[in-house]
Amino acid sequence: MTTTIGEAIGFWILGPVALAGGLGMVFSRNAVHSALWLVLTMLSLGVIYMLQAAPFLGFTQIIVYTGAIMMLFVFVLMMVGRDASDSVVEVLRGQRVAAAVLGIGLAGLMIGAVAQSVGVPLAAGAPSGSNVGGLGLLVFQRYLLAFELTSALIITGAVGAMVYTFAGRAKSKAITQKERVAERLRGPLEKFGSRSGPGVFATADSVATPALLPDGSVAPESLSAIIEATARERLGHATELSRPGDEHDTAAHSHHAERGEIQGSQT
Amino acid sequence: MGSQSFSDALGVDYGALAPLLIVLGGACVSVLLEAVLPRVRRRSVQLVFSLAVVVVALAAVIIRATSGAGDVVVLAGSLSVDAPGLFLWGTLLALAVPSVLMLADRSVEPGGVFVADPEALAEAQERVGAGSLRSTSSGLPSGTGTDTHGVVGRRGGAGPEPTTPPEMHTEIFPFVLFALGGMLAFSAANDLLTMFVALEVLSLPLYLLCGLARRRRLLSQEAAVKYFLLGAFASAFFLYGVALLYGYAGSVRLADIAASAAGPLRSDALLFAGLALLVVGLMFKASVGPFHTWTPDVYQGAPTPVTAFMAACTKVAAFGAILRVFTVAFGTTALEWRGVLWAVAIASMVIGTVLGITQTDLKRMVAYSSVAHAGFILIGCLAITPAGLSGTLFYLLAYGFTTIAILGLVSLVRSGDGEAGHLSGYAGLAQRSPVVAAALSFCLLALAGVPLTSGFTAKFAVFSAGLADGMAPLVIVGLVCSAIAAFFYLRVIVLMYFSDPAPDGPTVSLPGPMTTVAITLGVAVTLLLGVLPTAALEWAGAGTFLG
Amino acid sequence: MQGSAGLTAYVPLIVMFVLAGGFALFSVTAAPYIGPRRYNRAKLDTYECGIEPSPQPVVGGGRVPVAYYLTAMLFILFDIEMVFLYPFVINIDALGLFGLVEIVLFIGTVAFAYAYVWRRGGLDWT
Repeated sequence: MTTTIGEAIGFWILGPVALAGGLGMVFSRNAVHSALWLVLTMLSLGVIYMLQAAPFLGFTQIIVYTGAIMMLFVFVLMMVGRDASDSVVEVLRGQRVAAAVLGIGLAGLMIGAVAQSVGVPLAAGAPSGSNVGGLGLLVFQRYLLAFELTSALIITGAVGAMVYTFAGRAKSKAITQKERVAERLRGPLEKFGSRSGPGVFATADSVATPALLPDGSVAPESLSAIIEATARERLGHATELSRPGDEHDTAAHSHHAERGEIQGSQT
Repeated sequence: MGSQSFSDALGVDYGALAPLLIVLGGACVSVLLEAVLPRVRRRSVQLVFSLAVVVVALAAVIIRATSGAGDVVVLAGSLSVDAPGLFLWGTLLALAVPSVLMLADRSVEPGGVFVADPEALAEAQERVGAGSLRSTSSGLPSGTGTDTHGVVGRRGGAGPEPTTPPEMHTEIFPFVLFALGGMLAFSAANDLLTMFVALEVLSLPLYLLCGLARRRRLLSQEAAVKYFLLGAFASAFFLYGVALLYGYAGSVRLADIAASAAGPLRSDALLFAGLALLVVGLMFKASVGPFHTWTPDVYQGAPTPVTAFMAACTKVAAFGAILRVFTVAFGTTALEWRGVLWAVAIASMVIGTVLGITQTDLKRMVAYSSVAHAGFILIGCLAITPAGLSGTLFYLLAYGFTTIAILGLVSLVRSGDGEAGHLSGYAGLAQRSPVVAAALSFCLLALAGVPLTSGFTAKFAVFSAGLADGMAPLVIVGLVCSAIAAFFYLRVIVLMYFSDPAPDGPTVSLPGPMTTVAITLGVAVTLLLGVLPTAALEWAGAGTFLG
Repeated sequence: MQGSAGLTAYVPLIVMFVLAGGFALFSVTAAPYIGPRRYNRAKLDTYECGIEPSPQPVVGGGRVPVAYYLTAMLFILFDIEMVFLYPFVINIDALGLFGLVEIVLFIGTVAFAYAYVWRRGGLDWT
């Protein structure tokens, strides 16, 4: 098995890039940056696999690892909060030095073991047929038990994720779209719902409250045809619907009095 | 090409595969049950179903073993159903019965160990008083609020009525079945790739189960995270070893590795580097020697029934795989690598014994004792002889049942709202509950290896096999460690019988029927294997591994 | 398919990547120079459309709810399932009926997990 020029060029470009990604992952302080460095490593590895005439493995690496698993990493980082930083306190004194020495020692041993054996060609040659085809025959015949066991892993993963996040927790009541519309007509929720923009004088934040023009009259564009046309009882009892015309001010004022506060501009 | 010829070519032997297929299929159905059953009926249905699955699979193993069907390698050489493999399967399934019973029990504390939301449960109980809690099956404070108020109103305080225990995580049953399926595949895997996937299948549910003690959320989740991180690390070592061995032999089948090792094809550096990394992964699962660091924390933090399941079954599966790898793939080169594993075995025995003495928590003590026992079992594994094989298999069976009984008893001794882990809590236990103290003493004596218990027979079998194979120094270390370890088992017994109970000491809960059965089974098997070990020893020595 | 001979198939793909990257780079660098600059208040204001995202990751340094994680996790699981389908369809003739049984078993068991997640409300977004 000889190495072609293209393969060699690819390797000498991608190898250092992958290594740099690994080092960057370990040494960057920000966890999100670490994750992005890891993406670089994984992408380089994926391309190296393709260079080694294993396109399926390469694409799987990119689709599953770079695409999906890295996404999961980033979600976990976001869940923990991207401000969370590692503790740099050494719990066991001298642990880092010992770990570094042992790690380098193990790496040296492994490199030595592999280097001693590269002279003899591998017992297994390249399989005949196409890459994906050969892999498929192996997966579905030779290693079919391992393949079916993978589904057990997948089920366990899904159920485990559910158990640790959702199941067993009191389920919050689902807010339907109808309820949400009614809420919006009543005014903003504590947390959700949109408020008036800055610099706007508004007496209420209900979508049913019309906007006022500088002279105090109602801006016709701000009236929603759908809301005006909907019967009041369909939108919920407490909803104070405003009608077009002169009563707008009073309607808006009663709204404001009801809520007991002016929810105007929010800076 | 017909499917018949194909499945024949692949070696799909449903008779040989039946136990594995039953357990894994049962696990999948169990997930489906979890999806379709209404909340109130989940636990009972899941319990009955899981027990049925385990028992039917056990029956399939026994039928297979007694039918005289020969050893076969099935599924294109990825699984080897041979006599030792069947013994391991039988041991695993037999140990799973008391484990499942203990997992399902919730008589000792409301909701059981796996209660989903202890705070909500406590709130609901506070609202209505512990007596008239009719239904927390919905488990929600809001739901139960209106529900129970209605009940109180209607009955007008007509006295306490039997309470329906509140919701627990019934997902533990599919988890246990999946873990069990992984263990079955792990101990019978005939190639390293299948072994690796099976290792993951058995580990993942265990990681999840460890973190489900919601009453001691922090301890439990710390245990789960530690186990997961270290376990993933060990799996990586295993996989690295597999890669090196594939590079060496061009195959991941155990027999092919042995065949390659026989030929002078290439430098053996790759072979032994691969073996070393493989062994790290395997020893981690078996909590041997210097790879034991997760054991005490996880044993202590995990819910006690999970600890029991893990301590008994994982050890069986891991040592089953170790035996198979050592015998089938590396049997021919044993002389070259055995010296290193002598050191591992000695380290394991010494670490387990010395650190075990210093422990003040009973569960941690059991953990260190399991490390020491792993060292003893490793002696049997290193003697690659039929006697070593049968001794190891017998040891695994005996140790598993004794451990389950001990952890079952530990779960009964409680102070306040949790288990009384500290040794001081066991002072004068014999006066409070003579039966529990007697059973615990008996099991501890079995761990110490006193005659007439299974522990003695097991140790005798393993040590004599080691002596016969020229490992006298190792056996001497084993004997010394056993003698030292006996000290800390006896210390607990002395504490239970010869000191006065503290006035505010822990109480002994009355076990529910399922825990009672599990403990009784454990104690009975411990006694039986001590008095009449012949049948089990004969079955353990019935055959050898088929590569 | 050995070495660079197999790689020529990827040349169009690489060209496309280069073009796409070049276009993005070009647009971003060129826009400030060639685009008109007429700012007003409204342009600098926050763009709002429809209902504000809820719940908002405002506390704890931009944390996201755990539901995102679950969705991502489920995506990965089914992603992995999909990866196995490629080698299967390529070999569908060679594998025959037994292969079909295998893959149906695989998909079926994973569907059990899907049913579980669905029934337990793992796919609800509330």
